[in-house]
Amino acid sequence: MPEPQPAKYLRLHVGEDERWNGKPLYEAVVEKCRELEISGVSVFRGVEGFGESAEMHQSHLITRDRPILISIVETEENLARLLPEIEGILDTAMMAISDVQMIRICKSTLPH
Amino acid sequence: MLPKGPAKKVTIYLNEDSRYHLEPAWRAVVNFLRQKQVAGATVLRPSMGFGTHQMIHTLDTEGSMEHMPIRIEFVETGVRVDELLPTLYDMVTDGLIEVQDTSIIKSVVQGRQPQPVRPHEDIRGKAKLIRIYLGEADKFHGEPLYEAIVKRLRMMDVAGATVYRGILGYGAKRETHKKSLLQFSHDLPIMISVVEREERLPQILDTIESMMQDGLIVLSDVEVRRLVHRNPLEEEAKNAGTPAG
Repeated sequence: MPEPQPAKYLRLHVGEDERWNGKPLYEAVVEKCRELEISGVSVFRGVEGFGESAEMHQSHLITRDRPILISIVETEENLARLLPEIEGILDTAMMAISDVQMIRICKSTLPH
Repeated sequence: MLPKGPAKKVTIYLNEDSRYHLEPAWRAVVNFLRQKQVAGATVLRPSMGFGTHQMIHTLDTEGSMEHMPIRIEFVETGVRVDELLPTLYDMVTDGLIEVQDTSIIKSVVQGRQPQPVRPHEDIRGKAKLIRIYLGEADKFHGEPLYEAIVKRLRMMDVAGATVYRGILGYGAKRETHKKSLLQFSHDLPIMISVVEREERLPQILDTIESMMQDGLIVLSDVEVRRLVHRNPLEEEAKNAGTPAG
């Protein structure tokens, strides 16, 4: 069994139609992560949900304000570096951080 | 029904006209296996063969049909085979008995009457949540890796797995996975989540790790509450103390 390393798991819940500087907020978060060389980010779109404003996020005929989940797995130091940067671009959002164990698999050589 | 895992396969070679008491020996063997409730047995009639006498027995040459070979095969657990072998040894007076180690991968019975819906049971306790991150375009022997992993987990009787497809992301290869109207990407992030008991973790992780090239596995401690239909066998063991629902 590969040896797991301690890490932090960050979940960021935002709305699909939230924007920052003209682009979708979740795209802005992913770009910020790349800029800070965070090792990986995945964005998932939910089907339905509600958040702080207690408004249902769901798909309508015209608008598509579905819930978005951004998940990041990183070491504690890298996450500490990322958090203030992300907070700067968020208006309202929910962040949850949990302790996890991670196994990074990297068998193929990176193309240059 | 046989459990998955190690088992023994027994092959018995006989002459079709060998006898055991009043009946053909092969039929006596099959009847004995049935009486002992062996999971199943198959009798094969080969088209040709020879034994220790070096005489070819075949259906083509006329007049020598009576010494046709017969082969009986069955699979059982090691303990059951040990229990059956002394009697089989006694029954086979002219032929060969062979035992091989084997492993049962799948053993299912179809066509049974559908079971009535049983009352729910609430299972609680500590478990591990495994999240596997990979790319949609990752392949394992030509098929999508996420499908291959789910199939393998199913074969291992893992309680359940769910596959999620992301809409954007990047990972080990540092390429942005994105689906847009102009630039259609098939390499979106995929996350598979599995919840299982901690003792099954090493086996699951070794399997997944061996199938993946690049990616990430994330483990966390969780509390589970599983609602399942009660296992009929367990229920029988508990006996009829509960009111019928």
